Order: sequence, then structure tokens, then C-alpha cells
Amino acid sequence: MRLWLLPVLACVFAQAGAPAWAADAPPGASSCTGCHASVKIADSVIPHIAGRKAAEIVAAMGAYRSGAWPSSVMGRIAKGFDDRQTAAIAAWFAARPE
Amino acid sequence: MATRRALLKGAAALSFAPAIAMAQGTGAGRVVVIGGGFGGATAARTLKALAPRLDVTLVEPNAVYTSCPYSNGVLAAVREMSQQQFRYDGVRRAGVTVAQTSATAVDASARTVTLADGNRLSWDRLVMSPGIDINWTALPGYDEAAAQKMPHAWKAGAQTVLLRRQLQAMDDGGLVVMSAPANPYRCPPGPYERASLIAYWLKTWKPKSKLLLLDAKDAFSKQRLFQNAWTQEYPGMIEWVPLSKGGAVTSVDPSALTFVTDFARHKAAVANVIPPQKAGAIAALAGVADRTGWCPVEPVAFESTLRPGIHVLGDAAVMGAMPKSAFAANAQAKVCAAAIVDLLAGRTPVDPILINTCYSLVAPDYGISVAGVYRPDKGVLAEVPGAGGVSPLDVVGGYRGQEALYADSWFRTITGETFG
Ligand SMILES: Cc1cc2nc3c(=O)[nH]c(=O)nc-3n(C[C@H](O)[C@H](O)[C@H](O)COP(=O)(O)OP(=O)(O)OC[C@H]3O[C@@H](n4cnc5c(N)ncnc54)[C@H](O)[C@@H]3O)c2cc1C
Ligand code: HEC
Repeated sequence: MRLWLLPVLACVFAQAGAPAWAADAPPGASSCTGCHASVKIADSVIPHIAGRKAAEIVAAMGAYRSGAWPSSVMGRIAKGFDDRQTAAIAAWFAARPE
Repeated sequence: MATRRALLKGAAALSFAPAIAMAQGTGAGRVVVIGGGFGGATAARTLKALAPRLDVTLVEPNAVYTSCPYSNGVLAAVREMSQQQFRYDGVRRAGVTVAQTSATAVDASARTVTLADGNRLSWDRLVMSPGIDINWTALPGYDEAAAQKMPHAWKAGAQTVLLRRQLQAMDDGGLVVMSAPANPYRCPPGPYERASLIAYWLKTWKPKSKLLLLDAKDAFSKQRLFQNAWTQEYPGMIEWVPLSKGGAVTSVDPSALTFVTDFARHKAAVANVIPPQKAGAIAALAGVADRTGWCPVEPVAFESTLRPGIHVLGDAAVMGAMPKSAFAANAQAKVCAAAIVDLLAGRTPVDPILINTCYSLVAPDYGISVAGVYRPDKGVLAEVPGAGGVSPLDVVGGYRGQEALYADSWFRTITGETFG
């Protein structure tokens, strides 16, 4: 991921307090933050996923997609992403500050 | 896709050569954003976050934004107007210049925006997210004066307060009549959420009252979920009249609070007209709206197919299969901002994937949702097959209550992501 961070954009992450959307966001990731806030919201019932281990996110997405984990909305969303896309999104969230 | 790429590149090469030269390698450049709603405020903040050296100006006449999402709860007196309101401090903190005025003209070839305060702004890229305007010529009898008697409340604010006041002043036993327009319009499930929450309020405070919903369509978003919930929660209170049963309203008579269809006249105690709509008026002035009243865009950077260099987001744009929602406007804005940063640096943006989810409350503790995943396909945003869909029809336990809680958290998230 980090490899294709362009110099122009790298400075974003140096900025303290900058919102966590980033230009290296792989396709789909910026839509997840419509529900999974980039900055943690107190007592939100939607789980916070920024800073979570990539493997955990990949496992959750796989389980939602297959139906192994029951969900309200994640099953319907996870089915829109293949393994490669999911892995890229998971790595991106894992690299966000929690 | 090849054609689209060529078109994007062509546009960049022809009209934006100076901008590219200036922006390349420096991350600098000028972007003006018209409209500080879910699309525009998100786009402005995201642009600054991605490329801090960009000069970003947000043009928005109101000091306070009033959110339509959750405004149906204000009608049902489960929320107050103050909970719908957001200021632009977070947008300013992100480094965006906020010009508190309206855009009155756009010159696509000179690349300028003229403001109501007399100033003129230059841009390398223009983002427009002006939302909707009511199409005042589409429904005979329904003009701005009529909206004071038969409020639309489809732009939240004074109209929402007016409709709530009318409901509260109505005698028990009064008939509330609503009309819903043909597609496309802002927030496809919105009229049905509104009917539900008004019924919720009537059930407690005016239990002898009923609600008639006249519809210009034969089918609507989350239809079976809504209809099942109406039977269960509000038996006998909501009557939905589809197009094929004479639901299409052909004119209104505001002096008599009456809706006219081909078959009948319906007199209301309280009348809510959700009228036909079009892209915010500045879109037509800028030349980005077509004869339908909406703005065609390509599906990667949401650049106008009519005026290169101008990007249109949210309700104003024709986004293929994506509905007109706050969730969608926010998602499109983040994609558009990243694409603009790429374009200014001379790079080709990659094909995006977008999600939309619309939660609706049938009652404050009864939520349902529709979701979709979208990607560019043959020049438009199309649904990814096999993904998306609506909440299940049959559920056990606290499922609907849980979705209502998720909806509340979603509202807090999306307003935070938009306004900071
Ligand atoms: C009752 C109701 C309920 C809804 N519920 C939901 C929901 O639960 N979930 C959901 O996702 N969506 C919901 N929506 C839809 C949502 O409100 C819109 O889709 C969303 O606001 C679109 O964002 P936008 O940026 O396109 O437009 P807007 O948010 O309307 O923003 C447009 C902005 O542009 C400004 N503007 C217009 N013209 C100019 C000009 N010439 N110069 C400068 N500024 C200008 C306006 O002042 C406004 O601030 C609902 C809508 C309604 C009516
Ligand atoms: C419409 C709101 C919404 C969107 C959009 C959304 N999520 Fe979720 N997410 C939820 C909810 C709600 C849950 C809890 C499970 C459920 O009921 O679906 C959840 C759960 C999760 C979890 C499990 C976290 C845990 O601790 O158990 C992960 C991982 C996750 N989402 C990742 C994603 C990713 C990645 C995306 C974007 C591709 C995404 N979500 C988009 C609402 C959303």
C-alpha cells in the first residue's frame, strides 16, 4: 500500500488532525466511512474499524459474505467486494489511526 | 471505458493545460465548491485533507445547514429542529475558505463563478452540489405561495416547522393527505418514512385521524417492508393509492387544501405535497443540466458530460443506479475529491466502487434499510450484481429495533463525516 503513496499526498498524513480519508484509499473504502466513522464516535453502536488488524477485517467480511456471521447490513455490502478488493480495504483501515 | 478515459484525458489536455502545469508536482490549484450540503461540504473537506496546498472555497449562502435526513422525526415530534442543524466551523477548521453567499453564474470557458456578493472566483476545477429545487411549473396550482398552505417540507427548515405546526393544530379525526412524485426525486423512501412517522404521531395524539398517500408510481423503495409494517403498527390508518388506482395528482387547489386526480378530488385537513423536482437552479445556469432538469456525469470523477471541468455531485446529478441520498452524496464527494486531486496532478483516476445505504424509520424504534454497491459499467454507475438489497421481510426478536439504533449511529456518523 505505502509503496504507491504519492509524494504529493504523503504530506496529508503528516498533518495532525487531518481527516482520515486518504488518496491511497482503495476503491470502496471511502464509502465504508459513511457508517464506520473515521474519527471514533462515543457510544455509536456501529463498530469502529479504523486501526483494526487487517486479518480481522478480512475474516469478518468473509464471514458476512458467506452468511456464517449473521448481520443486518454487512452481508449485503460484503457481497459487493471480491477477495482482492476486500484485502486492499482491510489493509487501508488497518493503517488508519484508531 | 476506453472512450471515457480518452474523453477525460482530452478534456484535461485541452482546457486544463495551464492548471495541470501549475498543479503538477506541487499539489496546488484552485477548486471552488458550490453548495455546502452532504455532497459539497464533504467534497471541500476531503479536497483539503488530500491535498493541503489546494486553494478550496466553499460557496454556501446559509450559515447553518438544516439536514433533511431525520427531519421526518421532527414532524413526529421525536426530534427537535436544533438536532438537524450543523454549522461550517468544521469545514473552516479543515482549511476551506467559506464564502457565505450564493453562486449566481458560472462561466465554464472562462472558468469563473460569479457570487451574489459581487465577487468573482476563478477555478481550475469546479464542484457543484446544489441539491434540488422544486419544479414549480410541473404541478398546476403548486407555486411558492401554495407551499405556504400545502408545505412540501422537502427542503428541511421553515417548511418542516410549518408542516409540524399544521399537524399539531389539526383536529383529531382530520385527514392528512400526502402526494409523492414520479421518479427521479430526492430520497426514494422518504415519502413512505414520512407517512409512517406521521402515522406514529397520529396514533398517539390524534388516534381518530387517517393518512391518505397519493402516489404517481405503482411501486416504491422497500415497499413490502413498509406495507407490512403499516398493517402491523398502524392498522387502517394509512391508505396508499398507486398510479394505477388513480394516485397521480394532476393539480392542487391550495385555497381549498385539495388534491385533484383524474378520478377524484381529495380535501385535506393537512396537506403535504412532495412535488416534482429538478437540480438546483444554478445547475441549469451553468449549462450542466439537460432537458430532464438533472445533470449527466461520467461515472469515475462525476465530471459533467456537458461542461468539462465541472463536477456535479449528489441529488443534482444523474448517477446511474445510485439513488439521491445523503449517504450517496457523501460517498460520491469523497470519490470525486480524490479524482480531482489525481486530475490536477495529471494522473488518470481509477474506477471507484461506491456504497449506498438508506435507513428508514417506520417508528422511532423500528428501522429498515436498503443497500447497494455500485461501480462504473458501460459509462454509468451500475449495481454490482449479487450485492445489496433490503432488510429481510421476516425477522425475529429485536432486529428492527437494532436497525433503528444503527440508523441513529449512521446519522451521527454521516453528519460528522460531512461537517467535521
Ligand atoms: C424528508 C427527507 C428525508 C431524507 N432522509 C434521508 C436519509 O435518511 N438518508 C439519506 O441518505 N438521505 C436522506 N434524504 C436525502 C438527502 O437529504 C439528500 O439526498 C442530500 O441532502 C443530498 O445532498 P446534496 O449535497 O446533493 O444537496 P443538499 O444537501 O441539499 O445541499 C445543497 C446545498 O447547496 C446550496 N446551494 C444551492 N444553490 C446554491 C447556489 N446557487 N450557490 C451556493 N449554494 C447553493 C444549498 O443552500 C444547500 O446547502 C432525505 C431527504 C428528505 C427530503
Ligand atoms: C450502512 C452502514 C455500513 C456500511 C456502509 C458499512 N458497514 Fe460495516 N458494519 C455496519 C454494521 C451495522 C455492522 C454490524 C453488523 C451488521 O449488523 O451488519 C458492521 C460491522 C462491520 C465489521 C465487523 C466489526 C466488528 O468489530 O465486529 C467490519 C469488519 C465491517 N463492518 C467492515 C466494513 C467495511 C470494510 C465496509 C466497506 C466496504 C463497511 N463495513 C461498510 C454498518 C456498515
